[in-house]
Amino acid sequence: MNRRNALRRTALLAGSAVAAPTLLSLLQSCKEQKRVDWVPQFLNQEQAVFVSSFVDTILPKTETPGALDVKVDIFMDLMYAKTYDENGQKYVVEEIDKFNANCKDEYGDVFANLSTEDKTAVLKKAEAETAKFNPGVWGTAVGEQKPVGFYRQLKSMALWAYFSSEEVGKNILSYDPIPGAYLGCIPLSDVGNTWSL
Amino acid sequence: MANFNIDAKQDMTYDAIVIGSGISGGWAAKELCEKGLKTLVLERGRIVEHVTDYPTMTLDPWDTELRGSLTPEQKAKHPKGIRSGFIGANNEHFHANDVENPYTEVKPFLWVRAHQMGGRSLLWGKQCYRWSDLDFEANLKDGHGVDWPIRYNDLAPWYTHVEKFAGISGEALGLPQLPDSHFLPPMELNCVEKHVKERIEKEYNGRNMIIGRVAHLTEPINGRGKCQFRNRCDRGCPYGAYFSSNAVTLPAANATGNLTIRPFSIAQSIIYDDESGKATGVRIIDSETGEFMEYHAKIIFCNASTLSSTQILMNSTSDRHPNGLGNASGELGHNLMDHTYRVGAMGKVPGFEDQYYKGRRPNGIYIPRYYNLDEQTKTDNFVRGFGFQGSGGRAGWGAGSNQENFGADFKDGLMKPGPWEFFITGFAECLPNHENKVYLNKEVLDKWGQPTLSIDAEWGENELAMNKQIRKDAKEMLERAGLQDITDFDNEHEMGYGIHEMGTARMGRDPKTSVLNGNNQVHGANNVFVTDGACMTSSSCVNPSLTYMALTARAANFAVSELKKNNL
Ligand SMILES: Cc1cc2nc3c(=O)[nH]c(=O)nc-3n(C[C@H](O)[C@H](O)[C@H](O)COP(=O)(O)OP(=O)(O)OC[C@H]3O[C@@H](n4cnc5c(N)ncnc54)[C@H](O)[C@@H]3O)c2cc1C
Ligand code: SF4
Repeated sequence: MNRRNALRRTALLAGSAVAAPTLLSLLQSCKEQKRVDWVPQFLNQEQAVFVSSFVDTILPKTETPGALDVKVDIFMDLMYAKTYDENGQKYVVEEIDKFNANCKDEYGDVFANLSTEDKTAVLKKAEAETAKFNPGVWGTAVGEQKPVGFYRQLKSMALWAYFSSEEVGKNILSYDPIPGAYLGCIPLSDVGNTWSL
Repeated sequence: MANFNIDAKQDMTYDAIVIGSGISGGWAAKELCEKGLKTLVLERGRIVEHVTDYPTMTLDPWDTELRGSLTPEQKAKHPKGIRSGFIGANNEHFHANDVENPYTEVKPFLWVRAHQMGGRSLLWGKQCYRWSDLDFEANLKDGHGVDWPIRYNDLAPWYTHVEKFAGISGEALGLPQLPDSHFLPPMELNCVEKHVKERIEKEYNGRNMIIGRVAHLTEPINGRGKCQFRNRCDRGCPYGAYFSSNAVTLPAANATGNLTIRPFSIAQSIIYDDESGKATGVRIIDSETGEFMEYHAKIIFCNASTLSSTQILMNSTSDRHPNGLGNASGELGHNLMDHTYRVGAMGKVPGFEDQYYKGRRPNGIYIPRYYNLDEQTKTDNFVRGFGFQGSGGRAGWGAGSNQENFGADFKDGLMKPGPWEFFITGFAECLPNHENKVYLNKEVLDKWGQPTLSIDAEWGENELAMNKQIRKDAKEMLERAGLQDITDFDNEHEMGYGIHEMGTARMGRDPKTSVLNGNNQVHGANNVFVTDGACMTSSSCVNPSLTYMALTARAANFAVSELKKNNL
């Protein structure tokens, strides 16, 4: 079991008796323990656990921070709370619950509780089944966009939340808020990573 | 630039009144003030001071709580404008409130408006192209619409005049269908754009791909700084590097000491004196108090933007002009035009993996019109023509959404730029058609109890035929340029999406078929000038705003000389 997930669950189910993960959580760094304080504004506990676990699976910690390090889950909850209208909010909770229910049906537990292997299987299937975003030009998709389904929306929001975070935007991607000039042709090695802005 | 002379109420009489402070109104104010006229600018929105009123100009995504996302409350203010795809939290404050300012879509029409000092000059894309005689002679030659009362030579010196002050960057090419401007150095194409350009120009005789011509300083002029390539223009530019009324024309007008701006002033109608056959002033509604007031002047420039200027003229009824000022011909409100938009193709450019670019260039490429220029390029499929805009760049992390992948390698892979992509989308000329029209709607009132506009217009056969050709040509061009994974598209869209609405108070040679004469004077009200997009007799296929600027400067010059001769 992924230790980070264990910690996340502990944090979110604070108060309920989950012995083993609590022990594991003692092994985590102080920085990570702060996350215990996170109280979702919009999602309920189980939905928040799902989002945390989901974004952690999509964007895990490597040499570079993972989604949880830059609080992608907390930010997504905020987005649902403040930028979604009622219909959108209703859709999100229904879809999360559906996603978890499917995991239970097929693998015996909600997404966050599954083994890494099972999680991978769930996401692989979702990838194959959900439509893709049409390419966009000047702010709108070209052609007739098929509904992309919840999985891809969630994934794209997780990517956005991650790559638009200050830590990733300033310290991981190449950051240059006032380029000063346009150079149309330079070696990629002079820049390194993608421009963040 | 602080310290505008902001009129409260004390002085009700000026030499000139300009309605609207957007792209064309700013020019009217500058030219009239510089020629010594005490000028009042009536602006329905608030004052927007250059730099100090650009609250989002330097914000990075993480600097705001919602990283640039709109709240439902913000979205609710723009139920129509939001369709454009151009409204975000970083520029929402520069877009008009659709709820307070309703309009009726008899047929679907997107009307994108900006109601503040500077108008849409704070939001526009700044593509600037001169029109040519191909455009000014088109109506005469193929019989659609009425003949323009002017030709390229009438406007050429005024193009130069405004370009020198506004600052247009671009490359001189000597193309007859796209006359060169007075240029600042061009922006650069990136390596893939250079490559595609070479291929297209080799594959097609007479087809060009050039860097866009834009109202951005690539060298400092008049105390304005040069562009820093941040591509955050629609939030306002701290360097004054692109042309806006706020950074360029209004400060110049203000420097003369002759300018007064009255914000929160909705021009309701132009007051006309039947006896003298002249306008005497403008009736306004103070948008904050609801109070009606009258301001007087010898000449009036109507620059509220195409449809709003027409609305004001329609509201201006008198015994002599019972159907609206200058509407003896019945053409007021008719011949609404726009450019088609969002038909094109995109694809990937193989190779160049080791190459990248630096800077966020607020500009793309342009492919000038290549049909119906002469006998050789004539087609039977449609009259007139279209050009393309587009650009090339490398995919970023956003591409990850569609990749059937997730996890550690996926995440780290997204840190590096993806494949090179390139797209072009066409802008086609729209014919002047009497049936495409706007009219006053007294059933639907705005927040101030005023009648609103009903817009009843749609693309005609010629525009749709061009869209077909655009799609076909775009795909073929990208194929022949060696692109892969090509997607061609026609995002069928209604009129208005081009945000180049033109016509509805056209210029012409004959008062029986037009609203304005060759100097932009209203027929039957010689001291009223309309020089925004309402005046356009045809629509060309290139972006129109530079032409509004030149027409405005020309008309202002004429107005002042006529005033001096006591002819107005
Ligand atoms: C996103 C975007 C991209 C664009 N890109 C380009 C481009 O690349 N090239 C190009 O040429 N054009 C472009 N345009 C179009 C361009 O912005 C307009 O053509 C141009 O601004 C029109 O100038 P205007 O003076 O007629 O009106 P505006 O600039 O719209 O200004 C009108 C002003 O009048 C005021 N007003 C309206 N009604 C009244 C009233 N009753 N009383 C008093 N004041 C009133 C408004 O508040 C506003 O300040 C773009 C527009 C947008 C929104
Ligand atoms: S890209 Fe250039 S013109 Fe646009 S805001 Fe930045 S500096 Fe100003």
